[in-house]
Amino acid sequence: MGRVLNLVLAGVGGQGIVSLANVIANAALHRGTNVVVAETHGLSQRGGSVIVHVRLGDAEAPLIPVGEGDIMIALDPLEAARYAHYLKQGALAYVEQKVTPPPLPGVKPPSTEEVVRSLEEAGLRVRVVPAIRRAQELGNPLGANVYMLGAAMASGVFDGYLGPEDVEAAIKLVLKKPEKNIRLFRAALAEG
Amino acid sequence: MKEVLAPPGSRVIMLGNVAIARGALEYGVAFASAYPGTPSTEITEALSYASRLLGAPYVEWSSNEKVALEGAIGAALAGVPAMASMKHVGVNVAADPLFSVGYMGVPASLVIVSADDPGMWSSQNEQDNRIYGIHAYIPVVEPAGAQEAKRAVIEAFKLSEKWGHPVILRSTTRIGHTRVPVETGEINLEGIKRKGKFEKNTERYTLVPAHARKLREELVEKWERIREDLASHPLNWVEGPEDAKLLVVGAGLGYRYAKEALARLGLEDKARLLKIGTPVPLPRKLIVEEASRADKIFVVEEGDPVVESQIKEALYDEKIIVDIHGKEKGPIRRTGELTLDNVTAGLARVAGVPYEAPQPPRPRISLPPRPPVLCAGCPYRAVFYALRRAVGKARVRPIYNGDIGCYSLGVNPPFQMQDTIVEMGGSIGLANGMSHTVEGQIPIAIIGDSTFFHAGLPGLANAVYNRAPMLVVVLDNRTTAMTGHQPHPGIGVTARGEPGYSIDIVDAARGLGVEYVKVIDAFNIKEGEEEFYKALEYVKKEGKPALVVARGACILLAIANARRMGVKYTVYTVDLDKCTACGLCYKAFNCPAIYPGDDGKARIDPLLCTGCGECAQICPFDAFHPVEEPPEEWLRIMRTAKPM
Repeated sequence: MGRVLNLVLAGVGGQGIVSLANVIANAALHRGTNVVVAETHGLSQRGGSVIVHVRLGDAEAPLIPVGEGDIMIALDPLEAARYAHYLKQGALAYVEQKVTPPPLPGVKPPSTEEVVRSLEEAGLRVRVVPAIRRAQELGNPLGANVYMLGAAMASGVFDGYLGPEDVEAAIKLVLKKPEKNIRLFRAALAEG
Repeated sequence: MKEVLAPPGSRVIMLGNVAIARGALEYGVAFASAYPGTPSTEITEALSYASRLLGAPYVEWSSNEKVALEGAIGAALAGVPAMASMKHVGVNVAADPLFSVGYMGVPASLVIVSADDPGMWSSQNEQDNRIYGIHAYIPVVEPAGAQEAKRAVIEAFKLSEKWGHPVILRSTTRIGHTRVPVETGEINLEGIKRKGKFEKNTERYTLVPAHARKLREELVEKWERIREDLASHPLNWVEGPEDAKLLVVGAGLGYRYAKEALARLGLEDKARLLKIGTPVPLPRKLIVEEASRADKIFVVEEGDPVVESQIKEALYDEKIIVDIHGKEKGPIRRTGELTLDNVTAGLARVAGVPYEAPQPPRPRISLPPRPPVLCAGCPYRAVFYALRRAVGKARVRPIYNGDIGCYSLGVNPPFQMQDTIVEMGGSIGLANGMSHTVEGQIPIAIIGDSTFFHAGLPGLANAVYNRAPMLVVVLDNRTTAMTGHQPHPGIGVTARGEPGYSIDIVDAARGLGVEYVKVIDAFNIKEGEEEFYKALEYVKKEGKPALVVARGACILLAIANARRMGVKYTVYTVDLDKCTACGLCYKAFNCPAIYPGDDGKARIDPLLCTGCGECAQICPFDAFHPVEEPPEEWLRIMRTAKPM
């Protein structure tokens, strides 16, 4: 068996996690990299916690084994912590800065700082990215997903599997308003 | 969905469900019916997309799964290849025709797609529908992952054609909702446009006892011939060294997990891997041949030990004694879905090789749960709120009989207004029994519009007939919302985007004899409270069913409609001078777009606010206002939007 890059995408239903996975899958195809993406649909999607398993390279099975994820992209700090056990010790987690509070009456969620500390203490390397804010500032409030991918890609974690040109081709193919999203993606690459 | 029509010879990313649709088009399916249900819905959405552009095949959203399967049987009897798709529990609804269609056989191919949901991601149970195949004498084809979904559906059609017999294609969540690269072939344009002719064959197609007895003899005999034939089916094969003492059997998606687990443990050269694509009836010849050389068998399959138990039967008959491991006695647990972790650990144990599971990071932090919730602007939130107030005012002790749909989410705080949820239509059904047996309580059946047409009608007829005192609340949000906004018989649009007849729920209820029928604006909380109160008083006084239709579009659908029509909605904002931080809006009403600031006063997230205006109605201090006057057009769309 050859190499596999296991990528955990986490967030809240409605944040565009499934769309992001579709971009990555199409980018992989553009590059000629094999890919398997297991998604969350239906009931769980309505504002609930969402995890998508993305496996690049020589993967057969759809789900990432616990403790074997290489990278995480999380559009919410709480969801990063919820699925952290899918990652390897020492894996890199790109975590959105803003907590989206679960809409349950009387629930006070932990802060981003508290979550990040717990992730680091558990053995992960964490990069906090203000993707929601930057996407808003750059005029594409729904583009935090794409911004986050750009920020992660900037550090080279996808080298050998995917490149920026593959992502841009995929954005053109599967997202609405591709120009806007490509601008955002490039900004994230530059800022990441 | 556009990828379903990708040109032949391309390699495109497809959801497993879309790949199933593509396979059906390549084979030449001419009739496709379905009732939406996760994880099956995208199959028919993709076919509906294709049909709108190609003019064929005929595709419909049927009113329920039984009707969908009957339609497909009818089409197959008329001589055209047909397919009915549904989620696993939908097959229960369709079970009546399913159990008899094997007796008749079919002159054109008929495939029933059952999308099972191990792990219960979107379902009330975890049933393994391969067992239906055994029970109803219908062969089951099971793809080895999304990677094989397209090929498997084509093989299922071919198998059905070859034997003149229905075939079940069993998918699972991790097949239908997994995205992989898929190679496309030619779409059979002639096939999908095919028209047929029904040829009379009374002894075969009318299952009166005299005919059915003969057909049953034939069926049992045919079943064994099919089993033998499946030994050489192209979806079954063997890999690895012939002399290996360990035989791993991977059925369906289990094959992918088994294959990767073997590689992870470095056992590819030490184990034989039998890949099963036709789990029912299990081709005995294949397993007996392989098992006779092995001294240990490890079976990997998604769901119940269906292949495992058939292997045991076959080997017992052949007097082959060999250790068999799987789900009956472990090492893999029977509940939940397969994972690479549990398959790898199980394989290591069976093979007697060391395997140390990694120590994953476990952050020490207490996380609040994040269950799915009613969306910001959902009309159901306003209805639950109004209904609760009416119940308090009428001083009744309610039993909230819930049903399957977005309103199931009313089970969570703050509403907790779903006391029972069993299956489609179960709200009215259970209320029927309770209404005749409880004292001092009133059953309130809460059912969605699509669910009402699906299985609510017989229960309602029963309630009227037997004079069951209950309040039926039909939540009419103008679509099958939970599964992604499919139309239904109340909408007036078909799956192909053509005009259909729109059945008014009010007419349907009156037609069934409900004497007390009212329609309310779901977004109007005051009206809702008053009308629910009156209806409850009627039930108490008259001892008969009352029905209230709460009408208001799914807000996501309304927003999509508005966007297409170039209409903008107006978000709301909080007047912090008026807000007293009472928390009613973010606690008792619990709109996800409203959150408390550090001072406890309400704030609105403008990105989440959908401009429904419900908060302005519930606030006792008049603190919520639209940032500008909402356009009339938006207020109309909120109440009338429907799928296009």
